[in-house]
Amino acid sequence: MNERTPPTDAQLIELCSKLPTHDREGQIFLRLRLQMARTHLKFLLANARLRTGLVVGLSIFFWFGLFALFYNGFEFVIKYVESPGSRYHSDTMLFVFPLFFLSLQVMLIFSSGIILYGGLYPSRETEFLITLPVRDERLVFYRFQEALLFSSWGFFLLASPMLLAYGMVAGAPWYYFAYLLPLMASFAYIPCTIGAILCLLLIYRLPSMRRIAVGVVALAIIVVAYQSIWKTLEFSETEFLGNSWFKDTLKRFRFARGEWLPSTWLSNALIEAVRRSHNNPRDLPWLEAGKYLVVLVSNALALHLIFIWLGKRVYRPSYWELHSRRAKKPKLSLAWVDRVAGFMLKPFPVQTRLLIMKDLRLFRRDPVQWSQFLIFFGLLLLYFANVDRFRQHKSDINVLTWVNIVSFLNLAVVGLILSTFTTRFIYPLISLEGRRFWILSRLPVDRDTILWGKFLFAACGSWLPCAALVGISDVMLDVSFMVVAVHQLICLLLCLGLAGMAVGFGAMMPNFREQSPSKIAAGFGGTLNLVLSALYIMAVVLMTALPCHFFLLAGKAELPRKLLQPQYLRFWLMLGILASMVLAAIVTILPLRGGLRAFRRLEV
Amino acid sequence: MLRFDNVTRTYGSRVAVDRLNLHVDRGELFALLGHNGAGKTTTIKMLVGLLRPSSGAIYVGPYNVVDNPREVSRLIGYVPDLPFLYDKLSGREFLRFVADMYGMSDGAAAEAVARESDRFQLKEFLDQLTESYSHGMRQRTVFAAALLHQPELLVVDEPMVGLDPHSIRLVKDLLKNYADSGKTVLMSTHTLEVAEAICDRVGVMKSGKIVFEGKVEEMRQLNPNAGQSLESLYLAMMDE
Repeated sequence: MNERTPPTDAQLIELCSKLPTHDREGQIFLRLRLQMARTHLKFLLANARLRTGLVVGLSIFFWFGLFALFYNGFEFVIKYVESPGSRYHSDTMLFVFPLFFLSLQVMLIFSSGIILYGGLYPSRETEFLITLPVRDERLVFYRFQEALLFSSWGFFLLASPMLLAYGMVAGAPWYYFAYLLPLMASFAYIPCTIGAILCLLLIYRLPSMRRIAVGVVALAIIVVAYQSIWKTLEFSETEFLGNSWFKDTLKRFRFARGEWLPSTWLSNALIEAVRRSHNNPRDLPWLEAGKYLVVLVSNALALHLIFIWLGKRVYRPSYWELHSRRAKKPKLSLAWVDRVAGFMLKPFPVQTRLLIMKDLRLFRRDPVQWSQFLIFFGLLLLYFANVDRFRQHKSDINVLTWVNIVSFLNLAVVGLILSTFTTRFIYPLISLEGRRFWILSRLPVDRDTILWGKFLFAACGSWLPCAALVGISDVMLDVSFMVVAVHQLICLLLCLGLAGMAVGFGAMMPNFREQSPSKIAAGFGGTLNLVLSALYIMAVVLMTALPCHFFLLAGKAELPRKLLQPQYLRFWLMLGILASMVLAAIVTILPLRGGLRAFRRLEV
Repeated sequence: MLRFDNVTRTYGSRVAVDRLNLHVDRGELFALLGHNGAGKTTTIKMLVGLLRPSSGAIYVGPYNVVDNPREVSRLIGYVPDLPFLYDKLSGREFLRFVADMYGMSDGAAAEAVARESDRFQLKEFLDQLTESYSHGMRQRTVFAAALLHQPELLVVDEPMVGLDPHSIRLVKDLLKNYADSGKTVLMSTHTLEVAEAICDRVGVMKSGKIVFEGKVEEMRQLNPNAGQSLESLYLAMMDE
């Protein structure tokens, strides 16, 4: 075409016929992924060694921990139930495996659907890609690959040690191990594709009700699961684990063994592959297992085709539909939370109070923050509300020991979850002020007041729910008043220490270039904060749990008499509490001092 | 080259673009003007395939935007107001990715990357990760990406935001020269002096409707008492 002569329509059509083929598009996206992965890996190795090392190290530790756990579990099953190939073994494993894989299957459907939604609809990258001449189905598949990876890695982390341990304990033949990877991969692909298909259809048909629809389905599943588990555990002590209990439980979870469920196909394949053929040339376990693998693979491929076809047909209309809704403008009135917080913060100076209220409003109006808080603390609450089994037989020394251990473990769990929240939400607070720092710096507010405001917001905001959770755990476990007092004191020390570290480190190592709190928290400072927080929690809990434990056991266990003298134990308990308080003071004051100093010198 | 036929876009009950009829010919540089919320960005988003018109049709060359989004994307180069770049790619890798997506051969892609990096003076930082780029560098890289395949229609949303005077001059010259070379340019802008200096025609949008479409000179004739500059003419039109 001549530069100055406008092209004819025919020439434009000719121009458009030279766009990349399907395969070429795939190659281009593959290259894009490889380039980004390579750069990301280089970045991690050069700038985030601590975080990368921790993630890899803890994942390996977790994997081997699970492997050991499952190994012992399967040894127990084979020792007491019978070996693979026997009827009772198959019946038992066909109860355990389908239930386990069905649960994961449901989780995979939800997680892949939700992750794909995030990748396909509110994503800036997708908005950019839509304006390029990319086929819709290619774009959908490109984002689905990410959803598949991010939703199924947890499945592989859980299932691989379990299935390897099962094969090793059961002395499985070689083909069991050869089948494992294709079985797991084809199984994981099915629920992920179902989640993706549901995501596309939901946004296509009900764009305005997407959250309600997902919420209702999730709630229904939780209610059914909770009811089944509750009925399984509500048996009396004498019936529990008895013959009728087993029969009833098998019957109740019969739905998990439906022949049409991929989880059942996977379970059957494993049961077939693990057994050996005995003197029967017509009995071919490898073939039986292979048949189930074929069923899994063919279903995965069929669902893949349906998903790609749907992507081509409905993705763009669903994208348009979602982005054509009128943006909701929520009415911002003074909520009761603000009124309550305002009342509770009255003792603080006006400026500090205003700063805390500002952070509280930002927190309240960002559902990403409080919804995670709500989910984790809600799950803990559910668990704490059901730990009262230990209350029976408390005169038994073993039960008493367990009650004490569990109560301190619960305290540690609350602390560890709190540490993830202080790292994820409190640590990035100063960095996030970067772009709006001109407002704060122009106000007649001392910089120290800003930092103290954040510290008080974090400490007070975390103390209330944590103290309530620890209190509920103690009430359900029916521990002594002394233990309750010790727990509440430790809880307060944890909240102060974790808030001090998060605010102090956040001010010492701010990252003003990044706008995403999760990316700020994932940096060196955030990782360091998380590691030190975990060490601090372990140290404080151990320093009080051990002396408290021996103090409670005094006179009830057969331990050396010298160690169990009351004055001796009281001394150790007091020393443990004192040491915890000193440690709490150090981890609160030192980072805060460093943070205050850095914040005073800060230039944005 | 570009035709909006009675295009309407609603968000719920709110009408963002109301029965828009607009023709932009080949070789023409057309600017959409209007207050915030007037419907400029919605119009551009419909054109580049990010939104579907509630009614009416948009044509780029022989293609309907809704029925042939892929072909239309091939003919368009789009520079959004908030540029997107892959943080973990260098500028060169990003440009290469875009060139590949337009179906350019290896040789043509390399040549186009060299040409545009020359034109937008990207060479200094082309092999750095884009996460280290300033706003101006990002904007210039996105301009380069939009021009790699020498689109028949260049669509630019707020091209001057965040650019330094040198880059503004560069972009102004580029848009003008691009239209002079026989290609079509549609831009939305609040920078009225730029529109006045380089555009062949302007369209003024108000509450989703085009209230004026034509040359700046025609605007002056329409309202002789409002002053000579596009700024005073525009403000007078908005006050009506």
